[in-house]
Order: sequence, then C-alpha cells, then structure tokens
Amino acid sequence: MKKSVLCLLIAVFLLCSISNASAMTLKIGIHNEPKTLNPFTARDVWSKHVLDRIYHDLYTLAPKTFELIPWLAEALPEYDKKTNTVIVKMRKTKWHDGTPLTAHDVVFTANVIKDLKVPRYSSRWKFIKKIEALDDYTLKYTLSQPMATFYSRTLLTFIVQKKKWEPIINEAKKTEKPLQTFLNYKNDNPIGNGPFKFSSWRNGTSIKLVKNPDFFAKNREIAGKKVGPYIDGILFKIYGTTDAAILALKNGDVDYIWWSIQPGFMQDLKEDTGVTLTENKENGIRYLAFNMRKAPFNDKNFRQAVAYLVDKDFMVQRILQNKGTRMESIVPPGNEYWHNPDMPEYGKGMTRAERVQKAVEILKKAGYTWKKEVKIKKDKVKPGKGLKMPNGKDLPEIDILTPPADYDPLRAMAGIQVQGWLNEIGINASAKPASMSFISDKVKIKQDFDTYILGYLLGIDPSYLNSFFHSSEIKRRGRNTSAYKNERFDELADECNKEMDMEKRKKLVFEMQSMLADDLPWIPFFNASVIEGHRQQRFTGWVNQLNGIGNSWSFLFMKPVQ
Amino acid sequence: MNLQKYILRRTIEIIVTLFIIISLLFILFRLAPGDPTSMIIDPEMTPEDIEHFRDAFGLNDSLWVQYVKYIFNIFRGEFGNSFHYDEPVIGIIWDKLLNTILLFTTATLLAAFAGITWGKYIAWKRGTWLEATITFTGLLLHTIFLPWFALLAIWIFGFKLNWFPLNGMMTPEVWLNPDTGIFRKVLDIIHHMMLPLFVLFTVDFARSMLVMKSSMLDTLREDYIVTAKAKGLKDRIIRNKHAARNAMLPVVTSVSLSIAFSINGSAITETVFSWPGLGRELVFAVSNNDYPLAQASFLLISALVLVANLISDILYAYLDPRIKY
Repeated sequence: MKKSVLCLLIAVFLLCSISNASAMTLKIGIHNEPKTLNPFTARDVWSKHVLDRIYHDLYTLAPKTFELIPWLAEALPEYDKKTNTVIVKMRKTKWHDGTPLTAHDVVFTANVIKDLKVPRYSSRWKFIKKIEALDDYTLKYTLSQPMATFYSRTLLTFIVQKKKWEPIINEAKKTEKPLQTFLNYKNDNPIGNGPFKFSSWRNGTSIKLVKNPDFFAKNREIAGKKVGPYIDGILFKIYGTTDAAILALKNGDVDYIWWSIQPGFMQDLKEDTGVTLTENKENGIRYLAFNMRKAPFNDKNFRQAVAYLVDKDFMVQRILQNKGTRMESIVPPGNEYWHNPDMPEYGKGMTRAERVQKAVEILKKAGYTWKKEVKIKKDKVKPGKGLKMPNGKDLPEIDILTPPADYDPLRAMAGIQVQGWLNEIGINASAKPASMSFISDKVKIKQDFDTYILGYLLGIDPSYLNSFFHSSEIKRRGRNTSAYKNERFDELADECNKEMDMEKRKKLVFEMQSMLADDLPWIPFFNASVIEGHRQQRFTGWVNQLNGIGNSWSFLFMKPVQ
Repeated sequence: MNLQKYILRRTIEIIVTLFIIISLLFILFRLAPGDPTSMIIDPEMTPEDIEHFRDAFGLNDSLWVQYVKYIFNIFRGEFGNSFHYDEPVIGIIWDKLLNTILLFTTATLLAAFAGITWGKYIAWKRGTWLEATITFTGLLLHTIFLPWFALLAIWIFGFKLNWFPLNGMMTPEVWLNPDTGIFRKVLDIIHHMMLPLFVLFTVDFARSMLVMKSSMLDTLREDYIVTAKAKGLKDRIIRNKHAARNAMLPVVTSVSLSIAFSINGSAITETVFSWPGLGRELVFAVSNNDYPLAQASFLLISALVLVANLISDILYAYLDPRIKY
C-alpha cells in the first residue's frame, strides 16, 4: 500500500512537470473569474477584459490621446445639425465565423437594447429616435435632440451578430420575463469581430482566446505603429490573492498581472530583474461626499472648512506612499483633455497649524462657536471641543461611512485620517467601515447618512458630472447622492449634454468643474497611480496610457521578443 | 421503537426543520441592509435602469408574493437564478460543490483517519515523551493562523522548491492541449490538490486526534481491557480490536458532522489557493445580497448536516449494540 502511494506521488511529480505552453500566447493573471461572456449582461471588469478582446466597435479611442477614431467605420460620423441625423459608413469586415458584419447587425443590436431597455446600455440609446441601415454598410441615426454622449458612448457600444442573437431574442420574448431570460443567456461560444476569438473557458481556472488572423484592422497604421495582433493568443489565469499572483509573475507562470499592485509589493518586485514595473495615472477618484439635505453639510462654509482640514498631500504621501496625485477637480488630472487645471487648491502647501487656522477662520466668520476653542501657538495645535452650529445647537456626531479595509484599504485609511482632522477642530467625527451593501442602502435608498468616502473608475467622457450633480438625479437610487442643487449648474449640464462641438463643450465642462470645486458637494481626495508588473522576456510593445498598460493597444501592438 | 420507525420519525423532523430553515433564510436575507441592486454602483446605470432590472428579477414584487414564489419553486426543485451571475443557481452550486467535496471532504476524511489512528496510539503511550510531543505538535498546528500557513506553504513548496503549482485546480496549458489524456488530467488535479490538502490536513487532524485520545483513555480504564491484558493478548490487538472500536463512537459523530460541514468549504483556503469551491462563493453571495445563491447554499448545508446527524445516529446503533431506538 505504502509503495503504491509512493509510486503515485512520483508519477504525479514527473508527469506534472511537463506542460505544453504556446511560446507566443500571452499569459495574464486576473483576480476574479469573469461572470459572463454575454456582452449585454457583463458589468464586472473581468468579464469586460475578456469581452473587449472579442467585440470591437464602430469607433475607438486613439492611444494616449483618446480622440475618437474610425474603427469598423470608414470615417468620422457625419452630423447634420438641421435634421439631427448622423451618417456612418462602415468598412467591409467579417465576424469570427467568416460571415459579413453589416449595418444590419448594428441596427439589430441597437434595437435589442432599446426594445428590452437593457440596463447600463439603454441610457446610451434613449435619445436615438431611429437607427436605419440605408444599405449593407451605411447607417443613419436620427436623434430626438443633439446629445454629446452620442460620440463617446452610443458609437462605442458593442455590436453582436444578428444571425446568432435573433433567435435568442425571439425565444426570450416568448417568456414571462424576456429581459431576465435574455440577460441569463450564457453565450458560451461568443462570435465577435475583434483581434481575438474565444477558444475555451475552464471554470475557476482559465479562459483562452486565440488570435483572429483575419482581424479587420490588421496592418492599419495607428499612432505610427502597425496594428496586429502579433501574438498567438491570450490565456487568462485566475489568482485569488495578490500574493499568489506576484509569485506567479516572478517565476514566469504569467507575463502580466492585470490589477494594480499595492506599494507594499513593489520593493520585492523591483529586486527581481525579470519583472518590469510601470506606473500610469488612473482615471478614477476617491472622494468624501456630504449629505447636503441636512445641517451642517448644507452650509458651504462648513464644507470649505473641511476641505482645508483634509491634508491631501499627507494622504498621497502616507496612504499612497507617493504613488498618486492629489485631486482638486472631479475630473481626474490624467484625463488631460477634459480636466480643468485651474482649480482652487484647498490647503496646498500649508502646515497643519495653518490649515486649522484657516478652517477656524471660515467657521467663525460663518457663526460657528466652540465650547472650548482651538488654540494655535507657535505652529502647535491644541484641539478644540464641542463645535456649535450658528443656531447655537451642538454639532451632532458625524459619521464617515467607508468601505472596510479588506475591500479598499485606501478609502478605509482615508476615513480614519479625516476623522482625526475633524476631531482636532472640535467636530465629533467617527469613521465607520461598513459593507458596500450597507453603504449603498444608507446612501442611495434610505438617503440617511452624514458623509461617506467612496470611489469610482470613470469614463473618458465627463458626462458623469451630469449624473452625479444634476438636480434631476436627487431621487431614490439616484446618482446625485449629495442632493446637490444648483440651478446654474443644471443649466450648464443640460447645455453641455447637447453640445456636439467638442471645444465648446470643453468650456462648459471647465465651468462645471469650477462650480463644483467652489460648492464642494464632494471633496475629491486623490488619484492612485496604477502600478503594474509585467515580464519583458517574452513580449515587448506594451503601451503606457491612462489606467495602465492593460489596454487594447498593448494587445494589438505587442510582439514576441525575437 | 425499532430502527425503521425511528428513521421515519427523524425524516419527518428533518423535513419540518428544513421548512423552518427555508423560511428563516428568506426572512433573514431580506432583513439585512441593502438589496442586490445596491451593489450596482455603476455611474452608467440610471435609476430607471435599476428599477427595470429589479422588475426583471421580481424584486419589486411584495414580500409575501416573493415568499410564496420562493417556497413553490423550492418544492419544484427550482432555486432561481443568481443575481450576480445571471445563471441558474443549481448549476453554479453543482460546479463549485464537486470541487469543494474533492478537496475539503478528502481533507476531512484524511485528517479524521490520521486523527483516529494517532489518537488511539498516543492514548496507549500515555505519559511518554512521544505522547507529549505529538499532542503538543497537534495543538500547535491546530492553532496556526491558516491563511498565513497556506501562504507560507505556497512560498516554500510552490515558489522556492517549485514542487507544486502556486494555485488553482488545473494547469491551463495541460487541459487546453487536445492531446492530453485522462490519466494526465487526473494527475494534474491531484498535483494541484496536494498543497491545499497538506495545509488543511495539518491544521485539522488534531481535532479528531484529541477526541479519540480522550475517549480511548476512558475506555482503557474499563475492566474488559484489564481482562484482555490478563489473557495475554498482544498490545496491538487490545488497542485496535478491543479499546479503539468502543472509543471511536464519539469520534464517529464528530467526523460525520465534519463531513457535512466540509461542503461549506473554507472561503479563506479557497481564496488563497484560488480553489474554485463553494465556500468562497457563499461568502461572496452573502456580501452581495445574492439571495438565490446564498439561500440555496445555506439550504444545502442545512440539509446535509441534518442528514449527517441522522446517519451518525444510525451508525451509532450499528456500531454499539447497546443502543436501541
């Protein structure tokens, strides 16, 4: 018995040390398994990492500059102001199964989204009155009104094959809940048009994509480089923890880990000559939001005082370990075209004592008093106690809801820092880590909270300014969680939505950012750098841009090392 | 009452208990703050999108309507679709359950077997340095912080020595190769299992060992053991055939319940080893208010525990003729 167990163990060791790996397949470590390959359903980032390789759109965003460029389309869209119509001419391209990709597929996809009101996508198509295929390769969109997001969102919607999906839709429409039935469709064998085709999915382990040798954009020149793909395929391998993924990167089990590496791992990776670290800006935000439905958060003076107290440089230094930048605007600085650089920099360059001094001045001028005033002497702060509102009432305890440290240590730490700074000035604040579900419930459904610290990864188009701050979004489950209400802002946002001229729209977006920076419904904190690790021994040609090297251009330009 | 009547009575009790558990699960999940759509904190999803989504998944029905549909569907064997995966819950649980059983039930059985074997041995060697060493080692290993130990094992045996894979259940390159035979695939899974099995076994065997040791020590004081020694029987025969058989009874209950709970997996172990099991999925389902998946998983665990309890009672009657129902 013991001998047979020993023989089995030896066999396991010997046979399992042999493995076949294609030399030209890029191996990527991902943190979680993709949820679905149904493009209508996919909401999580891991599903989108896979689907974005399989399905490509009429237009795409150029590398680094993010300007709109034709992709499946032949040329930029032709907009007619008088009739509010847009003509798009398509190239002759094919699906992965060799059948032609035509305007009828685009029309079909759009009508599915509109008819079933597919969540997440239907808002991109609400203002499209009609979409028609004038012929097999010409599209005509009729808009109910000019809408700026037509370029940045509608034209960047994925396209599905009508031949495959029409029967699925028809079956779903026969059921009691057609949207649910349709969204539940697994799409086990996606037929796309992108540079990579689906090959296989081993649940819990890996997903493999193989090269599409007939990719429609192959050999096109973009930003001075010829488009591939030049690699045989991509193998996504799932790692539950960063520790295991880092070890896999170090021993060559993967070529790249597709998530940001925490600063704590960097030193170890820097010492490994086989690993290259890259640092890029993130198109995201972490922020503190106020519930402006109640005092004192509905007082601009209070919000500005808090803005002075928040030491963003300290946060970048201590929480981000200098891997990031402070934010003054809701639009991240990495989004260079839309970011307004001319923003008030609350407390920048001030010492601790100077910040407290400034905050106290603002509050005193606004009529706030203390039971025990803050005392500042020779740059040392003696904390105050018992801040009272202008009406003489004691300031109630303020809760700062944050995600727990195991979910996002950055936001959890930020909450603790802000708690300390507020307490110093006599504001009785308390950071309360809670599950995302609890925070969402308090903030979006019950609307019963004081402040919270959350974050988003944002799109390039700044239409989220409208979503987050327009007064029409002050409702249950609405996105204007702060209940920010400013008529002038609403006017600007409405005008911005309809402005199809990029330069004019930019001016409006700049003005909106200035208003938000003054009114402060949110205090943006920082923008963490995206630090990623990859190996250079097998592949070269990664493209550094906003949000990191894991982008479509990297996979289209990279080549095996000769 | 004979055994058959006892089994029938217990089966009815199990059904009633399960019905109470089903109802409690429904209430508890809906009492927890948040709802499934509260996790969709996506700037691109408008409030209208979310309402539409809620309607599509029946979340806007009244609680009573949801409850009736829920009970009716359970009795039809339909557990609904996961809000998160948008797939039938049964399929998700089944896939993950097999993986969990393969690893955790195997680890539980191995740990129990080793625990019983060493437990009876150290009880026999009571008072010696060997007994003290094994007991101390078992206790020490049982109190080790499992995630740290798992990561250490990966680092030493997976990374430094390169003896075992760093994570997962399969080597993608092996399974994606069309020329790979079944035998090679089976060996690949075994290879992946060895490190997590080692970790789980190391941390877990002490529990059965100490229960067995304690039970053996009580049994060894019995008169019939003295008689067996006086008859000149070999130590091995007295220990294994006379003492251990009776001492094993409490361990049987403990082990059968452990096997039932083993399908719970361990979210931490599964996460560290990226083992695609039910434990991690269950934690995720609860955190994300994925009612159908969480409810079905808890129901499965409850049913298995109740059945395991019944089986251990029946086993008891079989192993100990003194027990009559």
